[in-house]
Amino acid sequence: MIGDPPPFFNRGPSPLARLTFFALAAIAVMIADHRFRALDAVRLTLSVIVHPLQQVATMPGAVIQRVGDFFSSQEGLLKENRELKAQLLANSSSAQQAKLLATEQAYLLSMAEARKRFDDTGVMAEVLYAGRNPFSRKLVIDKGLTQGVKSGQPVVDSVGVVGQVTNVAPFTSEVTLLTEKDQSVPVMLVRNGLRAIAVGSGKDGTIDVPFMPVSADIQAGDLFVSSGIDGTYPPGLVVAQVTAVDKNAGFVFAKITAKPAAGVDNHRFVMVLTAPPREAAARPEARGDERRAAKERPGQKVKR
Amino acid sequence: MRAADLTPVARDAMKRPAGGKLVLASFLVAFVMQSLPWQDGMLLARPDFVLLVLLFWVINEPRMIGLGLAFTLGLLVDVNDSMLLGQHALAYVVAAFFAQSLRVRILSFALPEQALHILGLAVLASLVTLLLNLLLGQDFPGWAILASPLLTALAWFPLAWLIYHPRLRDARRLGAS
Repeated sequence: MIGDPPPFFNRGPSPLARLTFFALAAIAVMIADHRFRALDAVRLTLSVIVHPLQQVATMPGAVIQRVGDFFSSQEGLLKENRELKAQLLANSSSAQQAKLLATEQAYLLSMAEARKRFDDTGVMAEVLYAGRNPFSRKLVIDKGLTQGVKSGQPVVDSVGVVGQVTNVAPFTSEVTLLTEKDQSVPVMLVRNGLRAIAVGSGKDGTIDVPFMPVSADIQAGDLFVSSGIDGTYPPGLVVAQVTAVDKNAGFVFAKITAKPAAGVDNHRFVMVLTAPPREAAARPEARGDERRAAKERPGQKVKR
Repeated sequence: MRAADLTPVARDAMKRPAGGKLVLASFLVAFVMQSLPWQDGMLLARPDFVLLVLLFWVINEPRMIGLGLAFTLGLLVDVNDSMLLGQHALAYVVAAFFAQSLRVRILSFALPEQALHILGLAVLASLVTLLLNLLLGQDFPGWAILASPLLTALAWFPLAWLIYHPRLRDARRLGAS
């Protein structure tokens, strides 16, 4: 045909067709990542490509820090040493108490054949930088798949829970902070054992405790620890301290604001708890299913 | 009347194509600058270096750099900044498409007007990511985010200066010899 250009003028599909193709591909990628988390392998592969560049980018900061460490004054070190010794002394008495309690508990548990509360093996990690996603609060730490860090593991500092590992690369991993929007931890009030769920507010580093009735016994200053019923966070880790309780009779629920106990935004070292999560207790409906199944097959004996 | 007004297309044809090494190096540098430890407000106002370099090459080397690379770079940026995979891919593809369709017009202008066009494209790209994140239920991160496209457009001057000038010098030397 006369209208057809010779093949060496052929420049492939039209720009609009290309735009449509790539835009649809991008949307497909987004859906796959957001709805199904199907692209973790892709992310891992690409992160290997990007890793050296990130290292180059963090180098100046790391060098400055090293040099600063090297020239940190003796006076400062002495002061820090003194403070640490005082802290050690303060902690040692409670540590001894804890030892005693642990032996007691071990003895009691051996009688009751229950499991240990939690295995406290962990990996020490250095915080490389705050995540560069302006829409969320994340940290990037220098331990990854090769050091046994897995997605979902809790991260703590010396005071309490910092967050949870949400993404791992071979040598780094990403920690989503407690204060990230919709990041939730099942908690328990230390004073009276009240169970609740602490949810990050995503705003100015606070945590909300939603859906607590106005009559709930919560006061400002109360401490929340993890309750461990999710099987992700081991029980007993300090999570947050209540800063304000707004009980307005006009609403069904009290508005409870807490601030994270751990220095969520300011630390250099954190600990990833790598112990395998405790199995959560079987869900009641699952047990119901079993019972129903047993009823449906009356001829068969259910072996337990 | 400027020379550009007389020969907008011919000037383009006379340029030597940029070497693949220069293109690769510019993207590597852009990635490193993007990955510097930006924090809080600085992070929001961070110019989008990768987008800037991408637009530069889409406009100046359309035969080498196209939407496919824009898509790939977007994915890499998403991984690098640990965002939802694909949002920068979409933003970059859209911005690169408009850069492609406007490139002859953009090239016919001097640097300040070119930077204005880049501003428009950068606003478009950041609007795409911002709207996507708001749609996904994230909070508005703060007004500092408005500074990012502005700074991206401003960074067009040093970038063009860095890449254009040595090349122009080379071209002139070649023409003289």
